[in-house]
Amino acid sequence: MSPETLFQVANPLAMAGWLMLVAHPLAPRLVVPVAGLVIPAILSTGYVALVLAFWTSASGGFGSLPDVMALFDHPGVALAGWVHYLAFDLFVGGWIVRTAQAEGIAHLMILPSLLLTFLFGPAGLILFLALRAVLSLRAPQRE
Amino acid sequence: MTAFDLAAPPVAPGPAILRRLMADAPVFTALGLLLAMATVPLFAAMAVDPRMFQGVDVWVKPAKFAVSLSLYLLTLALFARWMPAGTTGRRWWRIYAWVVALAILAEMAWIGGAAMFGTGSHFNVGTPAMAALYAAMGIAAVTLTSATLVMGLAIWRNPATGLPPALRLSVALGLVLTFVLTVVVAGAMSQTLSHHVGTPVTGAMLPVMGWSREVGDLRVAHFLATHAMHALPLLGLVALRLPDGAGRALVWAGAAGWTALVAGTFLQAQAGQPFLPALG
Repeated sequence: MSPETLFQVANPLAMAGWLMLVAHPLAPRLVVPVAGLVIPAILSTGYVALVLAFWTSASGGFGSLPDVMALFDHPGVALAGWVHYLAFDLFVGGWIVRTAQAEGIAHLMILPSLLLTFLFGPAGLILFLALRAVLSLRAPQRE
Repeated sequence: MTAFDLAAPPVAPGPAILRRLMADAPVFTALGLLLAMATVPLFAAMAVDPRMFQGVDVWVKPAKFAVSLSLYLLTLALFARWMPAGTTGRRWWRIYAWVVALAILAEMAWIGGAAMFGTGSHFNVGTPAMAALYAAMGIAAVTLTSATLVMGLAIWRNPATGLPPALRLSVALGLVLTFVLTVVVAGAMSQTLSHHVGTPVTGAMLPVMGWSREVGDLRVAHFLATHAMHALPLLGLVALRLPDGAGRALVWAGAAGWTALVAGTFLQAQAGQPFLPALG
C-alpha cells in the first residue's frame, strides 16, 4: 500500500471522528469511545507501521531544524507526521468533549475549540483550557 | 474520577480465562497479550513496507516471533497454576518471571530493530556490533526458553496439582522436552549461521510457515521441538480415556515419538532435504 493510498484512507477516517465529536450530543455513549479512542488508536497503529517501515530510510533527525525538515523529505515519514497530527488532534478533541461533559460545559461553548483543534491543533487546546479556566469561576451549580 | 481517567475500573474486566491467567502469571500474561496486540502494527508495517529480506517482506519475521512468543507466554501462564501452591508469589519467581520477560522483550527489540534497518538479526555477524548482539541474544534465547524447564520440573515435583496423573505427566514432560529439544536444535542451528541447508533457487516455500520446499530447513525441527509443550498435553488429554498406567505409558511413548520426529526432521534438514517433499 503506497503512502498516497494511506493518505486517502487516513483523512476521511479522521474527518469521520471530527464529525462525530461535533455531533456528540446526538449519541454521546457512542461518540466518546469511537471518536475519542478507537479512531485515534487506528490512526496511531498506522503511524507506528509507517515509522517501522520508513524511519530508517529517511535522512535527517531531531537535532536541528534542517534535520527535522530533512526527515519530511521522505514521503513515508511525511505521511507518518501527518497521521501523527490526525491521531493526536482527534484524541485531544475527544478529551475536550469528555472534559466538557464531566464539568458541565455546554456543547455549543466548545464548538469553536473543536474547530480550532481540527484545523490548528494546539490553538484549539489553549482556547479550551482558557475557556475552562474562565468557566470554573462560575458559582458552583447543584451537585 | 475525572474526565480523563483511563485507568482500570475497580472490578477487573475481561473474560474469566484472562483474569485467571493474569492472577496466576501476571508478567507472562501481560506480555503475552501485548505481543498479540503488537502483531497489528507489525502486519500493518508489512502492508506498507516494500522492502524484502531473503525473499520475504522484512516484517514477516518480527510478526512470526510476536505470534510465537505470545503463544509461548500465554501457554506458560496457563500452566503456571499447576506449580506448587505459592510458587508464583515467591520473590525468586517474580524476579525470574521478569528476567524471562525482559529476555523476550530484548529478542523482539533486536528482531524488530533489524527489520527496521532491513538487515538480518539471527546469523548476522556482518559487523562486530551485530555479532556481539547475536551472541547476547543467544543467551537471552536460552534464558527465555529456560522457563519451560523451571516450570516443567516444578509441576513434575508437585503432588497436589489436582490433575489426573497422565495429564500432569504430559504437561511436565512436554515442558521439559520443549527446553531440551529446543536448546539442542536451536543451538545446532545457531552454529550453522543459516536456517537453510543448501541454496534455494526458486525460493518456493510452504505457505504461512515459510519453510523451504527445495532445500533443508532447520526451522521445521525447531518448530516441532518448541511445540512439545503443546503436543504432549494434547496427547495427555487423550490419555485421560485410558486407565492411569496405560495413560502414562501413552504419554511416555508420545514423548519418545515426538523426540524421534524432531530428530528425524532435524537430520532430514541437515541432509539438505525439504520437509514434506510430496508438497514440493
